[in-house]
Amino acid sequence: MTDALKLAFAGEEIARHLAATFEEPDWLLEERLDAYRRYAELPPETNQLFTTYLDLRAARFAEIEPYKVTGDTTDPSSRPPPGSEALLHVEEDRIVARALSEEARAAGVIVDTFANVLRHSPELLRSLIEGGASLPENDKFAQFARAHAAIGVVVHVPGGVELVRPIVLRWSIGAAGRGLTSRTVISIGDNASASILEEQLSSVAADGPQSLWWGTSEVVLGDGARLSFAAEQDFGPNTLMFVNRQATLGRDAQLQWALASVGSQLQRSRIDNRLVGRGASVQQAEIGFGGGSQLFDLTSYTRHVGQDTTGDLLSKGVFTDRARGFFKGMIDIERSARGTDSFLGEFAMLLSKKARSVAVPSLEIDQPDVRRAAHSSSVGPIDETQVFYLMSRGLPQDLARKYIVLGFLEPVVARIPLPEAQDRLRQLLDAKWPRTAEPTAA
Amino acid sequence: MTLNQRQLVDNDRSRFDFKDEIVYLTETKRGLTRATVEEISALKAEPEWMLEFRLRAYEHFLKRPMPMWTDGLDRIDFDKIIYYRKPSEREEKSWDDVPEQIKATFERLGIPEAERQFLAGVGAQYDSEVVYHSVKEELSKLGVVFMGTDQALIEYPEIVKKYFGTVVPPEDNKFAALNSAVWSGGSFVYVPKGVEVPLPLQAYFRINGENTGQFERTLIVVDEGAKVHYIEGCTAPIYATDSLHAAVVEVIALPGSKVRYTTIQNWSNDVYNLVTKRAHAYEDSTVEWIDANTGSRKTVKFPSIYLRGRGATADIISVAVAGKGQHQDTGAKAIHLAPDTKSRIVSKSVSKDGGRATYRGHLKVSPGATNVVASVRCDALMLDDESRSDTYPYIDIAEDDTSMSHEATVGKISQDQVFYLMSRGLSENEAQNLIVQGFLEVFTKELPMEYAIEFNRLVKLEMEGALG
Repeated sequence: MTDALKLAFAGEEIARHLAATFEEPDWLLEERLDAYRRYAELPPETNQLFTTYLDLRAARFAEIEPYKVTGDTTDPSSRPPPGSEALLHVEEDRIVARALSEEARAAGVIVDTFANVLRHSPELLRSLIEGGASLPENDKFAQFARAHAAIGVVVHVPGGVELVRPIVLRWSIGAAGRGLTSRTVISIGDNASASILEEQLSSVAADGPQSLWWGTSEVVLGDGARLSFAAEQDFGPNTLMFVNRQATLGRDAQLQWALASVGSQLQRSRIDNRLVGRGASVQQAEIGFGGGSQLFDLTSYTRHVGQDTTGDLLSKGVFTDRARGFFKGMIDIERSARGTDSFLGEFAMLLSKKARSVAVPSLEIDQPDVRRAAHSSSVGPIDETQVFYLMSRGLPQDLARKYIVLGFLEPVVARIPLPEAQDRLRQLLDAKWPRTAEPTAA
Repeated sequence: MTLNQRQLVDNDRSRFDFKDEIVYLTETKRGLTRATVEEISALKAEPEWMLEFRLRAYEHFLKRPMPMWTDGLDRIDFDKIIYYRKPSEREEKSWDDVPEQIKATFERLGIPEAERQFLAGVGAQYDSEVVYHSVKEELSKLGVVFMGTDQALIEYPEIVKKYFGTVVPPEDNKFAALNSAVWSGGSFVYVPKGVEVPLPLQAYFRINGENTGQFERTLIVVDEGAKVHYIEGCTAPIYATDSLHAAVVEVIALPGSKVRYTTIQNWSNDVYNLVTKRAHAYEDSTVEWIDANTGSRKTVKFPSIYLRGRGATADIISVAVAGKGQHQDTGAKAIHLAPDTKSRIVSKSVSKDGGRATYRGHLKVSPGATNVVASVRCDALMLDDESRSDTYPYIDIAEDDTSMSHEATVGKISQDQVFYLMSRGLSENEAQNLIVQGFLEVFTKELPMEYAIEFNRLVKLEMEGALG
């Protein structure tokens, strides 16, 4: 089989080399090799429904050389930034800060690297990822990360532990011609609760060759566990981003995704929600604000397996210049999933002639005994009656239009856990507003 | 349901299940080769350009892989199919000249009754050739042409050559290529400028004979400001092995015209029904596809409208009922290529007894198509746990002033509604039947009365035994 992506930085030898560099145990090497085999055989898109809407033309993989060695900080701290429970900050090829509050540590919470977890509690990591069930087996991009990760992060909250303050995972990437492949494994024990804020930032404003961030969020929620996961992606305009997020939910577990994408040249994201336990529920809100020639390729699968599960998914996009958004969704209600309530909404606003939005909100239903199985989608310009209303209250036209757009995206912003992070996202979205359209006079 | 009603229903069913012994005067050998294509063309004494068209299509058919986005098509054995049969020597003008046995078949299908009522014209396809045609005199005087496509190729070569294959080129898909290579029969309609055809034109198609492929080719050209409604209904006898029906329908709605095309598809459950239906809608024209699929083993059909002229309107109603062993892979496409165009798609599907209903749709607003208003609504009803329903809509918008909305829901029959109807004295089956008929009413109300009655009867038949 030939590799359809033709990545020079993918290969069995590279996977072996990474395992050797990080002195990984045999089972983890086998994981990498299994992943590489799958990676090599899979086409870039296995779902026939979506094959027409995968566009990687903007990616210049040949000019990127991902890091093969990564380093850890020598100075882990017990004082995370105010308002947070823990911080793990990766900048380019090394961890520059790692902090965990005293009380969290005492409660058995882990926010650490694969390497350290393998040293102290190897069985924990092995039970979470061995066999590859924490990532979709039919996704080439996920299998790439599984085979080639140069850094692994574990977030573990033991059963019954309730963390009030968020855990912050920060990735700063952008060095020209370089890239980082990573995995993030998150396990929240029975009846535990936590919130995570993932920030993707640009480390340097780079011209020239592209940079790359390729990663995962592999989430397992125990019975009654609750997780709120927020992400702000603000990579530089020359960065490619590939991410897989998969969550498996136990009985009565609750998951909230609030995912905002502003930066990068190309973001390819796939989310897999697997509602296995009875009464599990996922609430997902995703926004993308694209300008220039940005492409946000956002796929989400929600698979209802257990009875009385709930899925509530909302994707919103605003596109200006030549930016594009591909929203691909699939709700799958299995025969066992009686009493499902599932909704998928995909909404877009186009602000320029050349912008484009594609929505494929699909449903596959094997069990008619549902509370709700529906999707809805709309595309439209800014509602001029709303603009008129705001103008009648004294706002200039351009400001009125901007506020309507920001209001359209606000439902996701409001779900970001840290107030500072929330404010920063508002500023990012504000700055995204086309400059040419700024009012000329105050 | 009382015993009498049930008997009535059973009798009705038999009306669609019969097979006649017919001596085929001419037929090609099983299987498809270049020689088969040449033989068909020679038998029809076609002009050279049509033979070239067929051969070009044949070459493409060979090259084109089988579509993988829907399943089960690999079970079709192209070598077992007879691609051409001609049951009588020439097209009949008068009912009296139609051979007795064929006449008897149509009698049971109800064509003469339909004609006695209010037909504007009847074209009936029996296997591969149009054997009977009548167009009422006043329509002929108006210049309306309604005849078999083969005959039109002889009588109106310029119009046919100008439009044939322009809406659905042979390279469009594998089955359009197959049809283009071996097509035979189908209807040709031409409505001259400004002429409004007051009553629907109707055509019945039937497949008869095991392993008979039927590849009709319909071409409808509606000139500026003209108006026409075309109706087709299908029934077919039931056989053990699979039959293939791969039709192509091309509609050209010239500026200011209005075309409605209504289909009730009720092939027997062994037929693969793979149809490409497409219309080009020019300035200020309106095209409507009213499409219902209750029969066949598998139907793959997405009536589409390319809105090419400013101010054109597209309206598509697609209805599917999938019972035991059936897969209705149906839907609609609206492709906006011009400014100020409108489209509306409404899809309703019912799946039951393990059947599978799939909605697949495409809504596209191309660059330059400004001020578009488009809506898509799909609702699916699942009557039991064994059945399946899928919805695969594609929405691709490239203009910033588009107003597009899409909604879809899937569910089962509301027990509250059933309970209410039963409290008014209906049996459970009657209550369900009534709810399903109500669910499909968006389609039924668009039909002429006799068709609406027949369609409701079909739904009722389908609902038989829906309850355990």
